[in-house]
Amino acid sequence: MGSKGSRTVIKTSDLRKEYGSTTAVDDLSLTVFENEIFGLLGPNGAGKTTLVEILQGLRTPTSGTATVLGLDLQENLYEIKDRIGVVPQSFQTFERLTVKENVALMADLHSDSLAVADVLEELDLAEWANVPFESLSGGYQRRTGIAMALVSDPEILFLDEPTTGLDPAARRSTWEQIERLPEMGTTVVLTSHYMDEVEYLADRVALLVDGQIEAVDTVAELIDTFAGAVKLVVHLTDQTPETEEKSLATLLEESAASVYRNDDGALIGVFSDRQTAQDVYTALHDLGTGHSIDLISPGMEDVFLELAGQSLTPEGDLE
Amino acid sequence: MNRVLTLTKTLLRDWVRNREAVFFALLFPLLLLIIFSTVFAGGPTEFEVGVQNNDVTSTGEPTELSATLITAIEETPALEPHTVDSDTDLEGIENVEEATGHKRVVVIPDGFDARVRSSSARVRMAVIEDTVNRFQGDISPGQQQDIQDALGGFETEGDASPVSVVLLTVPDDEAAGAVGSIVDSVIARFNDRSIGIEDPTVSKVTEQRGQQALGAADYFLPAFIVAMILINGLMTVPSAVAQFKRDGTLKRLAVSPLRKHEWVIANVIQQSILAVLLSLIMVGVAWALFGVTAIPGPVAIGLVVIGAIGFSSLGMIVGALIQTPGSAISLGGAIALPLMFISGIFWELDLMPATLQTVAAYSPVTHFHRSLREVMILDSTAGVWTTAVLLLVLAFVFFAGAVFLTNWQSFES
Repeated sequence: MGSKGSRTVIKTSDLRKEYGSTTAVDDLSLTVFENEIFGLLGPNGAGKTTLVEILQGLRTPTSGTATVLGLDLQENLYEIKDRIGVVPQSFQTFERLTVKENVALMADLHSDSLAVADVLEELDLAEWANVPFESLSGGYQRRTGIAMALVSDPEILFLDEPTTGLDPAARRSTWEQIERLPEMGTTVVLTSHYMDEVEYLADRVALLVDGQIEAVDTVAELIDTFAGAVKLVVHLTDQTPETEEKSLATLLEESAASVYRNDDGALIGVFSDRQTAQDVYTALHDLGTGHSIDLISPGMEDVFLELAGQSLTPEGDLE
Repeated sequence: MNRVLTLTKTLLRDWVRNREAVFFALLFPLLLLIIFSTVFAGGPTEFEVGVQNNDVTSTGEPTELSATLITAIEETPALEPHTVDSDTDLEGIENVEEATGHKRVVVIPDGFDARVRSSSARVRMAVIEDTVNRFQGDISPGQQQDIQDALGGFETEGDASPVSVVLLTVPDDEAAGAVGSIVDSVIARFNDRSIGIEDPTVSKVTEQRGQQALGAADYFLPAFIVAMILINGLMTVPSAVAQFKRDGTLKRLAVSPLRKHEWVIANVIQQSILAVLLSLIMVGVAWALFGVTAIPGPVAIGLVVIGAIGFSSLGMIVGALIQTPGSAISLGGAIALPLMFISGIFWELDLMPATLQTVAAYSPVTHFHRSLREVMILDSTAGVWTTAVLLLVLAFVFFAGAVFLTNWQSFES
């Protein structure tokens, strides 16, 4: 079983991919360490999928270098493919074959593999083993994809948007499966546009915008560095008089690092330290405005907003 | 090699569970085989023809010779005569079908018997006179004179000019030519009899020299085995490849250690196995339904395998170039169907215009099914090795093209 290490398993230097006049990956350099869950976060079109497809050997970079598991990507492509696992974004396989047959296919295509029955058991797929892939729900299809990727006992697992289209229960269940992978000695490269997913799963996160890495660090460090410590949210209503709104904003601006309105019309103050935020929270309560007030810790959404200057829609597009 | 076998097994499993693919690959050619073999295996075609006899006695009975002609028509297997009432006036009629209900009617004119007899007597006398002249060296001058005197004593009575039987047809009757020829032969036979040469001194004997006569199923079995290989290779394969490409299955395989040439090889092996199995099934059906005894030996199976490799590789090229299954099957069909039509899959090449026969001679499909027929039906290897080499060259070129053109990177998302 693995523990988060310092051994580099992926390293890119000035990696670049151009499609005509469009630059999808822009001189990108990053390092992924053994047994970590590395999140690639960014809006649609940021270059996440292009980057991971280069690392999987599905695309050739225009320039720059990349090594995977210490091997040069161009020279050792098939050895690398034998040692990695991939769950693509739009996952599909032989739909008339059963779960077991599909997983066995991937086991047979790799030089080393785990017992199919064990993998199915591990992913709670044993009772679905003889069900055709096309008869499964979206959640079980995704889980079959993970089983197909894990059966070769990969050293690195690429998960591209693993929970897109899943219901909340299936999403949570998939997270639990992913969470356990580093303990089994597998490094995970997780591509997602879901902030909560990356925040929950990733040890380190690279934030990609327009093919470039804006920041890369642990989730906690990114939040500390870019999102401030605490957010105070005053939920205004349509009936809130403009004068009251202005006076509340002025009150927040006196001590907050920044103040803004979100889409729901809430007034948000970002504070660099929790104590100041707590003091303002108490003061607002004492004023008796009648508005609902929350004191919340910031998350990756705030980091993204700070770095990209825009929020993400649920579909992964920039607002 | 393990990867190829694993994938081949997977593709076979996937195919067997795909009802549409099974229908197109097996049932469709089988249905064609059964339909074509049944339709073209029927007995001789009979042409319906109306017969109007205007030569009757005062009591309404047919005269002797007109009755003889009608009997000759009735005894002709290719004709199915129906009587047309002599009261129906066909003189100057515009549409014979409207008047009689028949597209073609043989009209025996009034006075037929009398004129045939007069004409026949004149012909007989001319024959005797001519015979006497030819053999005058063997007959004394006195005997010759007696004969000439006796012949001169005869005088033909009535109209001795030739009599015509009229065949009325409608302009759009495609069988008019064939029926006209049959009626000609009936009249020629009648003429011979009318001048009394019942046993001609010169006769014709027909002997067959050439290929063994083939039954319809003998012809169509090899043809539809080739059709099955074409349909599978050029329509099912491109559609499946485009579908795998579109739904991401191919991308999933491309991130495994599987190489693209292994992907092409696995598909080609799958198609070759299917082609042999489906050929055996078709041979079994042809034997059970039509009594065709075609035993596919190693040479026939070799031809089937080489053909399957070639045409499925061509199908892989189509699948590699086209993005959607619908378009792939259309392009595959656009190649396969004209090839089948022009190469004599559905009908014998002799029935096609000379220009198309020349084109067909250059089609590999023509040589493929002809050679298959040679080895499977006629137990001969005439032209088979040339065909095998031709198909091998094509298989090599198409396979290399399929490996080269198959995209193993940069899949569309």
